[in-house]
Amino acid sequence: MSNLIAIKGSKDGLRLQLDDQATWSELLEGLRGQLDQGTNFFHGARIVVDIGERVLGDDQLEVLLELMRQHGLSPESLASNTRESRNAARAAGIAARPLERSVAEGEDRGEAVFVRRTIRSGQIVRHHGHVTVLGDLNAGGEVIAGGNVIVWGRLRGTVHAGALGDRNAVICALELAPTQLRIADLIARPPDRDSGRLPEVAHVEDNQIRVEHWASARR
Amino acid sequence: MSRVITITSGKGGVGKTTTTANLGTALAMLGARVVVIDADIGLRNLDVVMGLENRIVYDLVDVVEGRCRLRQALIKDKHFPDLCLLPAAQTRDKDAVSTDDMIALTNQLRAEFDYILVDSPAGIEAGFRNAIAGADEVLIVTTPEVSAVRDADRIVGLAEAFEKSHPRLILNRLKPRMVSRGEMMSVDDVLQILAIDLIGVVPDDELIVMATNRGEVAVLDRASQAGRAFTDIARRIKGEQVPFMPLDGNPGVLDRFFGMFGRRPRGSER
Repeated sequence: MSNLIAIKGSKDGLRLQLDDQATWSELLEGLRGQLDQGTNFFHGARIVVDIGERVLGDDQLEVLLELMRQHGLSPESLASNTRESRNAARAAGIAARPLERSVAEGEDRGEAVFVRRTIRSGQIVRHHGHVTVLGDLNAGGEVIAGGNVIVWGRLRGTVHAGALGDRNAVICALELAPTQLRIADLIARPPDRDSGRLPEVAHVEDNQIRVEHWASARR
Repeated sequence: MSRVITITSGKGGVGKTTTTANLGTALAMLGARVVVIDADIGLRNLDVVMGLENRIVYDLVDVVEGRCRLRQALIKDKHFPDLCLLPAAQTRDKDAVSTDDMIALTNQLRAEFDYILVDSPAGIEAGFRNAIAGADEVLIVTTPEVSAVRDADRIVGLAEAFEKSHPRLILNRLKPRMVSRGEMMSVDDVLQILAIDLIGVVPDDELIVMATNRGEVAVLDRASQAGRAFTDIARRIKGEQVPFMPLDGNPGVLDRFFGMFGRRPRGSER
């Protein structure tokens, strides 16, 4: 993951934190790379673009927005410490607000979230780090994570691990009977057989998602 | 202390209206004062199922828009004077009523009734939100089919989002023979997915169709298995401990039901 771009998940959506020291072209390049890798991660999310102290003119903002539009994203608001940038955002029809990073960081402290309930049809859990679900993930429900996903229960819905491009991510479940599994840019549909009742782990091997029993994966 | 109970499902055609009519009638048989509200504005059905269609003068939208008093719109049941119907408007749509209107309406009815049953429309849009807005309790109806259970799961999630705690499940139109042959989802299968409390299982029953077509409800027919199941559910709503009835079929199925009753799964605590 590029260190020019930081992605933080919070209750209200995703925060795209853009480094305010790097040159503008470096930053755009980094962002383009990030968006190319993680299209699915961002899809449908509420996004706040956080540009810190950087002063952004109308033209630069337009380039930024165009880049995001090309990836099917439209930011909900711009967070900035400078009045010029906020005015530019408002002129472009986007809500703008001053930085409230301290508050945001309180919410997303740590790289993992712990979800202690059943994730039901129509519900999505989206997080930039690891996700642990203590409960079932029902069919029609989704977990999208930048890191690993562990479901301590039955996994019947869809999981996307490593959604920001990390092929080393894994998906574990006590009972793996997913609708679909995705790791980074790879997609797997389970074979049409009954799920095993043993804990399993899915990981990437030879450009494919492979599923193994937990017991054998440990060796 | 009166209770507002919304009957909903997500998927259409699983038996919400039939359930509402039967539970309303059964509760009235048990001596409670009951009003059933048809919240399916534009597609009203509850009046037809209860055989009260030709008595409608005013409807829910007339009340909300102030064209009549609430009492004028309430229709007394044919059999039980303590059972009333508040019909939906047929010529309007869901936008005619707001959630605030529904909350105000149900609160107004609390003064005169013990149970206020709200028959929700299918779907998860405005009509559903109106139906659930004023509810103290939610009953979710599903049939043992994958698509219906999937929608019920969605509704459980939405009920949580609307801060309605502990919705309870009615499993409708179960065919014990098919379950025992492994051709239909069992009570266990459904509960494993939804992980909520079961308040009743209603067997598939041809008498329901016949009764509905005549504008009668099955709970009045002693021969109807489904009718008995609905009466049992009404008693459970009142807080009585009623064992789950054994259904025709083989002993394996019978054991399942008794097993179910002993287990009482609740929420996601497993």
